[in-house]
Amino acid sequence: MEVTMDPLFLAWSYFRRRKLQQCSDICTKILQDNPYDQDSSLLISEAAWSLKTRALTEMVYIDEIEVDQEGIAEMMLDESSIAQVARPGTSLRLPGTCHGGGPTPAVRPMTQSGRPITGFVRPSTQSGRPGTMEQAIKTPRTASTARPVTASSGRFIRLGTASMLTNPEGPFINLSRLNLAKYSQKPNLSRTLFEYIFHHENDVKNALDLAAQATEHAQFKDWWWKVQLGKCYYRLGLYREAEKQFRSALNHQEMVDTYLYLAKVYQRMDQPITALSLFKQGLDHFPGEVTLLTGIARIHEEMNNISSATEYYKDVLKQDNTHVEAIACIGSNHFYTDQPEIALRFYRRLLQMGVYNCQLYNNLGLCCFYAQQYDMTLSSFERALALVANDEEQADVWYNIGHVAVGIGDLTLAYQCFKLTLAFNNDHAEAYNNLAVLELRKGHIEQSKAFLQTAASLAPHMYEPHFNLSILSEKLGDLQSSYSAAQKSEDAFPEHVDTQQLLKQLRQHFAVL
Amino acid sequence: MSSAESSGDGGKWLDAHYDPVAGIYSFSSCLDLADLSGDGENRLVVGDLGSGSSGMKLKVYRGTALMSESTLLDLPAGLVAFFMDLHEPRIPAVAVASGPCIYVYKNLRPYFKFTLPGLEINTLEQDVWQQVRDGQIDPLTLKEMLESIRKKADVPLSVRSLNFLSLELHEMDEFVELHKHQPIKRQTVITCIGTLKKNMADEDGVSCLVIGTESGEVFILDPEAFIILSKMSLPAVPTIMDVTGQFDVEFRITAVCRNGNIYILRRESDKPKYCIELSSHAVGLVRVGKNVVVGCTDETLQGFTQKGKKLWKTVLAAPITTMASMDLPTRGFQAVLVGLSNCEVQLYRDKNLLSTIKTPDVVTSICFGRYGREDGTLIVTTKGGGLMVKILKRTATFDDRDSAPGPPLAQSVRLNVPKKTKLYVDQTLRERESGLAMHRAFQMDLSRLRLAAAKAYVKALESSLTPMSASLAEPLKMNAVVQGLGPSFKLTLNVQNTAACRPIMNLAISFLYDESLYRMRNPYMRIPLLVPGLIYPVETFVECTSDKGISDIIKVFVLHEGRSSPLLTAHINMPVSEGLTLN
Repeated sequence: MEVTMDPLFLAWSYFRRRKLQQCSDICTKILQDNPYDQDSSLLISEAAWSLKTRALTEMVYIDEIEVDQEGIAEMMLDESSIAQVARPGTSLRLPGTCHGGGPTPAVRPMTQSGRPITGFVRPSTQSGRPGTMEQAIKTPRTASTARPVTASSGRFIRLGTASMLTNPEGPFINLSRLNLAKYSQKPNLSRTLFEYIFHHENDVKNALDLAAQATEHAQFKDWWWKVQLGKCYYRLGLYREAEKQFRSALNHQEMVDTYLYLAKVYQRMDQPITALSLFKQGLDHFPGEVTLLTGIARIHEEMNNISSATEYYKDVLKQDNTHVEAIACIGSNHFYTDQPEIALRFYRRLLQMGVYNCQLYNNLGLCCFYAQQYDMTLSSFERALALVANDEEQADVWYNIGHVAVGIGDLTLAYQCFKLTLAFNNDHAEAYNNLAVLELRKGHIEQSKAFLQTAASLAPHMYEPHFNLSILSEKLGDLQSSYSAAQKSEDAFPEHVDTQQLLKQLRQHFAVL
Repeated sequence: MSSAESSGDGGKWLDAHYDPVAGIYSFSSCLDLADLSGDGENRLVVGDLGSGSSGMKLKVYRGTALMSESTLLDLPAGLVAFFMDLHEPRIPAVAVASGPCIYVYKNLRPYFKFTLPGLEINTLEQDVWQQVRDGQIDPLTLKEMLESIRKKADVPLSVRSLNFLSLELHEMDEFVELHKHQPIKRQTVITCIGTLKKNMADEDGVSCLVIGTESGEVFILDPEAFIILSKMSLPAVPTIMDVTGQFDVEFRITAVCRNGNIYILRRESDKPKYCIELSSHAVGLVRVGKNVVVGCTDETLQGFTQKGKKLWKTVLAAPITTMASMDLPTRGFQAVLVGLSNCEVQLYRDKNLLSTIKTPDVVTSICFGRYGREDGTLIVTTKGGGLMVKILKRTATFDDRDSAPGPPLAQSVRLNVPKKTKLYVDQTLRERESGLAMHRAFQMDLSRLRLAAAKAYVKALESSLTPMSASLAEPLKMNAVVQGLGPSFKLTLNVQNTAACRPIMNLAISFLYDESLYRMRNPYMRIPLLVPGLIYPVETFVECTSDKGISDIIKVFVLHEGRSSPLLTAHINMPVSEGLTLN
């Protein structure tokens, strides 16, 4: 006779091995076999119930700290902002406050919000805050481009509806019939239930109810419940209340997570300096904590203080020498400060660590080209092309090959590459700009002008199309268009010397009788 | 001193008064200081332009308070205070030039109105209006005849005829009825006004008024009888004028004209004696001693002798808004105050910058002189209607700050060139050793890549994947913009013909999309004739019918009628619809 394992233990084992579906199935069976109202089986069914909620939560769990997408509504209709024009260096919203001696946009490309492109794409790196409503509701915000989704609900909805898809016969727990007061009295059940409601059902209001009752039951002494309350408030956009809860939780128990949540609240309230000092306070209690160090580095990076961001990323690497984000960011910083050979080392390290994707080969190719290691350049790009997952990546690789082609003087190849870029990604403003320059060299003035106008309308944050259009119009004798384009270029990149000279020349032209 | 230095004026001025909401909208030509009641205390007289169409006022300030205010009928072009007789006590009159008239105020009461003589009238025009009065011609014929006169005649039409020509058909009859019985007049308007001492150079000597007009003439008026003493003509319309000397002895009128030239008139001739041709239009003119300083629109300040010889030129930091002279006869100090559009007032002696005053707003008018009982008072009005009074400290001295000789500062700034790393040196070694192999590998890869690129390019061309058309017959370009939060999106396709001169016709747009996800309002649209160079936005609405939060690609094809393959294709990544949250 076969010895059967205790089903609850089996389920637990499945759970630990992250075979969550099997775990959930077994728990369902246990719950069916043990009616809930008999005293004898109450303990078993409670355990199974709790395990099932955990399994279901784990299926859709995403690190709450890293998920941070600011929606259009939060950006444009911000009630908590007091000063519209913050002092330089105190706000994340003024991208132009560059005091870290970072590279200019002439060297390092900018994102839409006017920050240098980062080496590591994470939620909110590329988003920034668009200047106008018009800019905000324009299309490029699909998931792959990591630009802002419309509202914070957008992302959570897709995660939350998982419950409906996985359980066709209906949700596992019917929240509307749940007696929250009863569960909040049982500490062993209430926590898993809370996580289930918060992460799986994505019902922040009920989660908040439960957390409020549970923290009351714990006589306001349980830090865990306070953190959960803070999380709920954060989701609801009540940042001041969230801050209060996290602060009070920190008084009970110093936790890295709590520091991270609290810093996130401060960043959302646009108080990067407070967030920085909080991280440093956290580092006093948890010296060398990687997540805290990364947080500091990210804030410095967002405030255009690239050199100190790099310092902190280096600190991160001292603690954890396989930290992908730190390696990638330091690598890209070296690349854009004219040291591609060092960047190459960092990217090779990533490759050794097993990061094997299109972007990495793309970067390796570029680094090899600019570090004059020509034999490896094109083979890297070939591999990148072989590894592409979607059209945007393909467009980016072709764009970079186009750059290499321009570098070796093969303009036909460059032309083909830029056109291919546009075939794969119709909104590639950089490719439009470069194509316009190539068209101009061929003497196709009308086409060139049309491309530049398109590039300028697609990416108003880039100064190149405006500047090129300005030069082109000036050569054609259309001084008025030239002047207005030069002004836009100046807005995008105030320190650009060529723009300044052109503007000066035009102003002189206008003043002369 | 250090705290005063931070305010930017070197601690030379005392802030006497600042009212940011004084509501004065004026220019330097409409500002003057005069002892209007004969008590030895100077008042500030301002011709306020109001909103430009209403609220024109003559305002008098005493100390920090508005003393009197009287309404002006028309926009003031200039304002001067002058002595018109020898009566005691010596109280000056105020002359306000507006339109074709000069209104003279004495003791702040209207005293006299002088109107410029009318100009010569076109006889043909007069005949035509005569015929209208006799009822011989109707308004339509009148219009035709006036238009033909306007085209041919040397003497321009009167204002009434010009007004008539601008009317609509139904308004003509009424206008003719209203005006046909009055005689035609042609008036010029005053552009600038100044004063000229009659025969004594004293401070309180009797002065003549000097008037520049739109018809390019300069009149000198007798102060008591208000008859024209002298009439001179200029080749262009004077805009700014400076007058010096005495009428009976010798005088000199320096007039900046609208054609960008400065003309200098003298007593003996009624034509300009000298002419200065500027490189750009003048904004202000100030006489310092025997020289004139001119501020131009090209952000320069230039000095000329009274015979029109150029002495110097300096470039300023910002465009000039206004200029005034600063004259302190007790100290023998003369300089030029220049208001700049970067909210500064700069003080220049010749080409040297002596001091800078920072103002909270852009300065529109400056006046320096005796105000109240204080000799060195600077009065400034700003663009936002503010009034600022500053008093020159008696201890203040102005030194010419000579620009220090030597190399420019930028020469000693080190460039931030990154050092070449050891890694780089190692790599160059590798390059030197195996250069041949590297080159071969690169060339081989390059040929392979060229082939791959060409293949992909041909594929893209064959299926017209690119958003711009490659064919020479129809060079087209398109880009698409999606707006909206969902479930309803607005899709805008910007189509542009990039040909040099040929229009494109017979085009249509169609879409390819998943019909279970999206619904289009117009799945097929015709494009109008495309004129080269213009961007044609073609709009339609897309509705997302799914509530699963899924998004898809919509393909757009631009088609030519009668051809099966599309001219160009665009792929639109639709954003995720957020509209389903409301349930």
